[in-house]
Amino acid sequence: MGTTNGTTTPEIRVRGLAKSFGDNAVLRGVDFTAARGTSTVLLGPSGSGKTTVLRSLAVLERPDEGVVGIGDVEVDFSRLPDGKAGQREVARLRAQSGFVFQTHNLFPHRTVLENLIEGPVVAQRRPKEEVVAEARVLLEQVGLAQREDAYPFQLSGGQQQRVGIARALALKPEVVLFDEPTSALDPELVGEVLAVVRDLAEQGWTTVIVTHEIHFARKVADQALFLDGGRIVEAGPPGEVLEAPRTERARQFLRRILDPG
Amino acid sequence: MRRRQPRRQLRRQLRPARRAAGLGGIARIVAVLAGVLGSLLLAASGPAHADGDGDGGAAGERRVVRVGTEGTYPPFSFHEAGSAEVTGYDIDVVKAVAERAGWELEFVETQWDAIFPALDAGRIDVIANQVSWNEERAADYGLSDPYTYSEGVIVTRADEDAITTLEDLAGRTTAQSATSNWAQVARDAGARVETVEGFAQAVALLAQGRVDAIVNDNIAVLDYLAQTGSEEVKIAGVAEGESTEQVLTFRQDDTELLTAANQALAELSADGTLAEISEKYFKADVSVEGGGGDVDVSGARARSSNWDIVRDESWPMIKGLLRITVPLTVVAFAGGLTLAVLVALARISSSRILAGAARAFISAIRGTPLLLQLFIVFYGLPQVGIRLDGFVAAALAFGLNVAGYAAEIVRSAILAVPKGQFEAAQTIGLDYRQTLRRIVFPQALRTAVPPLSNTLLSLLKDTSLVAPLLLSDITRVAQEAAGRTNEFLLLYAYAGLYYWIICTLLSAGQTRLEARLDRYVAK
Repeated sequence: MGTTNGTTTPEIRVRGLAKSFGDNAVLRGVDFTAARGTSTVLLGPSGSGKTTVLRSLAVLERPDEGVVGIGDVEVDFSRLPDGKAGQREVARLRAQSGFVFQTHNLFPHRTVLENLIEGPVVAQRRPKEEVVAEARVLLEQVGLAQREDAYPFQLSGGQQQRVGIARALALKPEVVLFDEPTSALDPELVGEVLAVVRDLAEQGWTTVIVTHEIHFARKVADQALFLDGGRIVEAGPPGEVLEAPRTERARQFLRRILDPG
Repeated sequence: MRRRQPRRQLRRQLRPARRAAGLGGIARIVAVLAGVLGSLLLAASGPAHADGDGDGGAAGERRVVRVGTEGTYPPFSFHEAGSAEVTGYDIDVVKAVAERAGWELEFVETQWDAIFPALDAGRIDVIANQVSWNEERAADYGLSDPYTYSEGVIVTRADEDAITTLEDLAGRTTAQSATSNWAQVARDAGARVETVEGFAQAVALLAQGRVDAIVNDNIAVLDYLAQTGSEEVKIAGVAEGESTEQVLTFRQDDTELLTAANQALAELSADGTLAEISEKYFKADVSVEGGGGDVDVSGARARSSNWDIVRDESWPMIKGLLRITVPLTVVAFAGGLTLAVLVALARISSSRILAGAARAFISAIRGTPLLLQLFIVFYGLPQVGIRLDGFVAAALAFGLNVAGYAAEIVRSAILAVPKGQFEAAQTIGLDYRQTLRRIVFPQALRTAVPPLSNTLLSLLKDTSLVAPLLLSDITRVAQEAAGRTNEFLLLYAYAGLYYWIICTLLSAGQTRLEARLDRYVAK
């Protein structure tokens, strides 16, 4: 899964990430690393900046300052050149990750198989036969081998999200980013999607997951990061962060999420 | 030589678009696709040029002279039923002149009020259409020696007794062609003038009671009465002191043609040719002063039944439909839609210059009448040195008009595609152009097809405005036929039927396209 760059360099490096929307500072200096083959969960109350961190990794938001490194590509957003050169750097960083959206964002005018092969064939210019063969393996892996000719509207929410995951994997990215992959789903469909995400983690994919599924995080994650007010306020193994948080803010949040009543 | 001219000028127009290409990705696409639009227009200009080379060749060759004439003004300039060839008294005279002067003639038919602008713009070289001599014209144009002498008469409804002289017209309303000599005569007599497109239409207004009188020359009126057997209108009196002389009209600086024409007319008068032509149409010699007092036009042409008219006009109408109306619609829509996409992209781009330019363009197109836009391209641009062929000018004007309206449709359709689709395209590595082409446009199309279909149907029907651009589209053919036969209701309804058929076919196509685009949407 991806290139090696020495065993000591972490797969994901984030340093001094800052981002404001107008006067509203969403990220105020975020630093973390993640080793290859690990799963990182981002937790925190809404507005804490966890989704913005994830979107910055895929450059769906462009940070004002800070460095994002994935694999052997590293971009310093404080010093990003204008115009073409900057766009090329951003494109290279983007190519390092696959992204799974909260609301799948499948292409409605393309069949399941076409959704999977669009990026590899059009953007990565890989041979179509090879990509199609790989895509069928991925569909099998997410349990949708029989539905490759279906249009997204013909699938259930859980199936759509599993296609979304397969579409991200088809790019053969260094890391896979999940933005609350189950929060738009009916409760009975959550399990099938989480099972796929857990499988990926176990197969050695490097993943970063924004989620509110605390039990899932505890079982799957190698590290948990708790954000509040645009900063990481707790970081460590999920057992520690989730069961013995040091900050009052994290304790409040976990109490509310574990016992909503 | 002239053939290459419009290309060069079109290129000149496109240059600003190229210069803007430095602004970024969208601008470059804009420039490239503007080039595509240009090529489309050029491709379309091909057949229209095949009619001939207007500026003539070197000394020794026969010079091509383009003759502007109405084609709807019997017996001077008209079509025999079912014939594509224009004929009539003025036509025979100018043909005889051409023979003497060694000219090759090319006839360009247009309505009267567009004839002088066409001469000014260099689209025709001479007008042969009963142009009456007057001082204003003599000051601005090169007028030949007269080849017709006629006197003015006042036409009223048959039951009208109160109008017999010019004085009686004071405070009354007359129907005249806007730029005709007779309009001025009526105004000088104190009448209000309703402007019309030809004599037949003036008579129709008179018979319907919408105007009180018409002032025109005796020959045309007598011909009309003989042709139609109309008992609704009559010659009520003579416009005293308004005998007129009709002349061939050239541009003032075109003295070479004028001199040759005068010499030819003198010879034709001397050898009796003019008298012969006049006898053929009027049974009298109107080519000499006092000769046209009592003309007989009764035997000139036979009247036709409605069925004969429909049969005779079907083919010319279908030709107008297939040679002008449909190709013009196709070219203008294809080019206009291409430009509309570019304008829409410019309008939503982050570049303030592009967005502002797009807004200004849309505002200019939507804020001015289509007919004026046509006139500006066809009659205005030649004054700044850009002379486009009639079809190209029409395609350009209609294309720009479509672009102005469709740009807003395309823009809202693009904005209706969810933001998540753009983001998903980014995360799988598509660049801006791939995202638009493969992800956004196919989805935007679903939203845009119904309103764009409206634009297409409107365009098809709006092409009927091309008559002043000297193009014989189906509406123009119907106008000519109606002017000749006076069957307005029959012929306009018949032309309308053709439009309706094409619109129905297009609507059926729209339904099928929508069904196809809906295949990936939950029902």
